[in-house]
Amino acid sequence: MESNRDSLDLSATVRSLRPTPEPEFAARLDARAADGFPRASRSWGSRLVEMADRVRAVPPRRVLAPAGAVALTAIVVATAVVSVTGTDPGNPSVSRFGAAATSPPAADRPAGAGVQHGTQAPVPSSSRAGSNSSSSAGSTLSEFEARSGASWLPSIAPHPSGPYASRANRRDIERSAQIVLGAEPSEVRAGVARVLDAVHATGGIVLRSSIQDGDEGEAGASFELLIPSPRLGDALATFSAIAEVRSRRESTQDITAPTIGVEERLEDSRARIESLLGQLSEAGSDEERAAVEAQLRAERRLAAALRSRLTSLRRRANFSRVSLRIETGAPLAAGRNSSGWGVSDALDDAGRILTIAAGVTVIALAILGPLALIAFLLWLAHRTLARRSRERTLD
Amino acid sequence: MDTESARSKDVDQALAAVAVDAPREADIAFDSLYRSSRDDVYAYVAGLLRDRTAAEEVTATAFERAYRKRSRFDRGRGEPRAWLFGIARNAALDELRRRKRHAELATDPLDGEGAAVADGFEQSERRLAVAAALDRLQPAERELVALKFFAGLSNAEIGRVIGITESNAGTKLNRVVNKLREACDGIE
Repeated sequence: MESNRDSLDLSATVRSLRPTPEPEFAARLDARAADGFPRASRSWGSRLVEMADRVRAVPPRRVLAPAGAVALTAIVVATAVVSVTGTDPGNPSVSRFGAAATSPPAADRPAGAGVQHGTQAPVPSSSRAGSNSSSSAGSTLSEFEARSGASWLPSIAPHPSGPYASRANRRDIERSAQIVLGAEPSEVRAGVARVLDAVHATGGIVLRSSIQDGDEGEAGASFELLIPSPRLGDALATFSAIAEVRSRRESTQDITAPTIGVEERLEDSRARIESLLGQLSEAGSDEERAAVEAQLRAERRLAAALRSRLTSLRRRANFSRVSLRIETGAPLAAGRNSSGWGVSDALDDAGRILTIAAGVTVIALAILGPLALIAFLLWLAHRTLARRSRERTLD
Repeated sequence: MDTESARSKDVDQALAAVAVDAPREADIAFDSLYRSSRDDVYAYVAGLLRDRTAAEEVTATAFERAYRKRSRFDRGRGEPRAWLFGIARNAALDELRRRKRHAELATDPLDGEGAAVADGFEQSERRLAVAAALDRLQPAERELVALKFFAGLSNAEIGRVIGITESNAGTKLNRVVNKLREACDGIE
């Protein structure tokens, strides 16, 4: 009972020692509180601190919506930028939005992939694209060997410069171009004449031509041309001057490796024919002679096939294939059907945009995620250290 | 027609003025907290720091920080007084740390020490003894006394402020009071 009274007395005595603020200080603090605790100085530092305080003072619930909107805007802008620059994740060399196509690095392209250029992109003469023609040539010859029973032929070592023939002294480049000109129906005939004049002037060949008279939309002409490769640029410039250029596409393909490969195989085949002829002259029996002659026939067929293949490759390098069309009426959308832009195109574009948006989001998360984690860990460490430091003050 | 239009305009203007002038919920709550806690915060900080000038600065700083953070306060995480005293505690400990880094300042006498002359002799002696015993307490112990007897916080609020449980706060307080009593007995 006495202990309780002592405790009460002690508590009361301690309470009576309670410090009270000076009236002047209390009045000053009240005034500041009424004014919303204005900051004394207005330096840049204090303004920044004030701004940070304001940002921090916003409840997280209110931050979520604007932050989401900002993130969404950033993704939309990035997607638009990526789309306009024409990078297609599925096909980097083709842009459906009409901008100049971008070519992937040579190392990223499969061997033999050509380089395509839009209307404004000139064809670089030093293109180093690989070639897929070797595979087609190889398969043709393999079939020939299988058919002719020439599997006994010794295998030919690959060209020392590798599958791209990168150490070749000269490059064999196959070029092709597609050009669409727009004209009035009355101008089609004159345009055709100018096309033919241009082909003859460059020493080219008209492989196929088709001219149709009629009203707007019906009248037109189309050509399949072979133009000497050194004069392709001149020819395209002349064609472009004939009428309005609605689209122009050029592509190149490096066929150096298959050309060199076929040349080497042809040389080897000739050497083997010489050797077989020597064996034939020294043959002692009819059976032996018959066997050598069979080998000789097979080898000659192989050499003929290789010569044909080499001629074809050289023609592809020497002559460029040009598809030229003169059309009338409203221009058709490049790369689309004559029915125009439809639901499937819209779905394609939507899917593509969503893919790009997802890619942008993933990249942004990949960059921002670790940064946010590091910032969070630093903040956590700072907070823990500050708390410990404060607690140590009381020890 | 013109009269009706003018009346409608007046009403709209009045409503707009009310909407602009109406203080936000957070401001009202902070104002109430400030009025009810101003002296308590000062008492706690002064009891901990034992320096009136520093206590005034720290009290002002604590209220300013609380004002800036008022929108972030979440009632689900505790009472506003505990939140406010947590801010005041951080500011006071920062001040203590700063003082430790520099020179140790002379401590001001507590209010009761100065008033001792005006009271009865026995009572004044008792106050002096308790004040002397308070001086001998460790800072952490003096903080508990300041939170309990100067600021008037409950054990649960004290636990929230210094980061311990309510029962632990009660135990520690009991220990400090016993120590204080023993010290007073020794002085008397």
